[in-house]
Amino acid sequence: MSEVKDTPIESSPLPAPKPKRPLPLSRQMVNEQTAKCYAEAWAAKENGEPVGWSTAIFPQEVCEAFGVPVLYPENNAAAISAKHLGDPFIEHAEGAMGFPINICSYARLNMGMADVLDNPDYKADPAMPRPDFLLLANNSCTQLMKWYECLSEALNIPIFFVDCLFNYYEEEPAFYKVKYVRSQIENYIENMEKFLKRKLDWDKYLEVQKRSQINCQLFNEIVDLNRRTPAPMSGFDLFNYMSCLVLCRGKESTTEIFKQLKAEVEENIKNNTSTFPGEEKYRVHWEGIACWPNLGFNLKKLKEYNVNAVMNGYVTAWDVRYAPGDLDGMAKAYQTSSTNSLSTPTIMNKRVDSIKNFGCDGMLCHVNRSCKLMTFHIFVGREIVESNAHIPVANFDGDQSDTRIFSEAQFETRLQGLVEIMKEQKEGAV
Amino acid sequence: MLTMGIDIGSAACKSLILKDGKHILSKEVFPLGTGTSGPNKVFEQALANACLEHKDLDHIMVTGYGRFTFDAADSQRSEITCHAAGMHFTMPKVRTLIDIGGQDIKILRLNERGKVESFVMNDKCAAGTGRFLEVMARVMNVRIEDLGALSMQSTEEVSISNTCTVFAESEVISKLSTGVKLPDLVAGILASVAKRVASLAFRNGVEAEVGMSGGVALNEGIINALSKELKTQILVPELCQYLGALGAAIYAGKEAL
Ligand code: SF4
Repeated sequence: MSEVKDTPIESSPLPAPKPKRPLPLSRQMVNEQTAKCYAEAWAAKENGEPVGWSTAIFPQEVCEAFGVPVLYPENNAAAISAKHLGDPFIEHAEGAMGFPINICSYARLNMGMADVLDNPDYKADPAMPRPDFLLLANNSCTQLMKWYECLSEALNIPIFFVDCLFNYYEEEPAFYKVKYVRSQIENYIENMEKFLKRKLDWDKYLEVQKRSQINCQLFNEIVDLNRRTPAPMSGFDLFNYMSCLVLCRGKESTTEIFKQLKAEVEENIKNNTSTFPGEEKYRVHWEGIACWPNLGFNLKKLKEYNVNAVMNGYVTAWDVRYAPGDLDGMAKAYQTSSTNSLSTPTIMNKRVDSIKNFGCDGMLCHVNRSCKLMTFHIFVGREIVESNAHIPVANFDGDQSDTRIFSEAQFETRLQGLVEIMKEQKEGAV
Repeated sequence: MLTMGIDIGSAACKSLILKDGKHILSKEVFPLGTGTSGPNKVFEQALANACLEHKDLDHIMVTGYGRFTFDAADSQRSEITCHAAGMHFTMPKVRTLIDIGGQDIKILRLNERGKVESFVMNDKCAAGTGRFLEVMARVMNVRIEDLGALSMQSTEEVSISNTCTVFAESEVISKLSTGVKLPDLVAGILASVAKRVASLAFRNGVEAEVGMSGGVALNEGIINALSKELKTQILVPELCQYLGALGAAIYAGKEAL
């Protein structure tokens, strides 16, 4: 009997699962930082202290200086979607709550979640506690305003609003626009002091500004390292590390993560290695938010076709740069860091510059059903890219959180077509 | 050198055998797509037509929606570049290629060497595709291949306003019940497909000559409606249905070298 027991066929009917590659230290640090943020928010809640929910690109410096925990529904929705846990919330928002399929899926997911926060079986990963106030800046889109209005009404909590202006004709906002946004930030600080019943520590605030600048600068330096051919990082890594700037732009722990990441990337350069899991034969510029639920499939196909999406037009949205202490500079930066607040030619010419800087052979555009603002410029913009950067462009349908939109077969055909064109162009057969 | 290209679409399969990258020895089409017996049928039949056996072929390349599922293939390639190569082989002056497939619409801009410079494809929506025409033909109880001839008899086109296949189907049913003439309704349906395809074509820029590939190109009514929308003549090669398979056979020759 013991012979039978020892035969591998009898004792292990299933092949052993492929061992997962351990996460690099920097990624482990990101996970720890995220977990800590959520834990702090829950701890504050339990202690009866206020917790905020904020739009993704809001002057976080103020709450950071106050030491008040803030979480970010867009970032939270992305994390939940990447884990394929978003559908029940989206279904709840569309079903019981009656929100239409045409609005942003981050909004649907989050409003669906907000509606069940007090249910005893409320579960999400990561789970956000009930907020006590909302921070809203409309610099990435105006849909956020209605979303937050709904939240405010449903949860009966105040909104602190910074109204940012669209820049049709200029990359640099006009002085009166800067003044307008600056006065709102000042007003926001005053109102937050009243809400929290304590004064802002201006020294701390300056420290946070300095820290935020260090972090943005470090992230830029890391992103720039991906200009190298072959790139030391899979471009999709940027989506993961970018979350540090969303969630913890003003924290020292982000500095530590970015220093570690930079060292890892430099090590890759030194050893001629990369986190891109395949051979990098083609470099593309990715346009739009990631299809979070399909990130794994997208990466698998990119690897199969030897395509590294080395850079994307999304990660720079948190590059909120200004001189610490300069409130005008800060007001200007918050108005323009997201390219959503710029005109199509301005956005696309920025992309053209980036395509040239990163040596991209093609562009892959996510036609995102949810995010009209990060999609509409693609249709006209592709002509600008084709004529100014002389590279082919392919579009595919998808969504950042709604799992019903993306089609694996469509994505693969478009990617393969793009690769075949890039190959012919590289080989000079065109 | 003998190469075979097989185009396994969502609605039909096509195959073609090429000698030395120049001479077409055999071709076959079968009106069933991926996941059916269609791929094997066109493979066997194309060989039988040319009195050849599998072992005589130097390379088999598969393209189309079902390109990953055919075991006898040596390689596969996207339908985008295959259609371009097929069109260039038959009509080298074509610079804008329109292909209406079962579930895809492709608009390709080609250079003088037949290489794709840019392409656009439909959104994830059946409007304007071959499947849309199939659904409409079924609801009107006419054969899809008769749509073109029927539309020619129209005296007053009945316009169809819905682009969504499901709503257009209901619209057609309700129009039929009001007693409109069948040819007028067919003309309206073809015009709606043409409008949809034309808007996509304009997105990619329309440069003469304009050529069309795919089985839908055999439908005169579509060609007329599309010429009207694009305000230009549309060239249809005799081999329009086989251009994907032809392109695959051409690329197969390059890979076999
Ligand atoms: S629509 Fe786009 S910019 Fe607006 S909230 Fe949704 S993802 Fe963000």
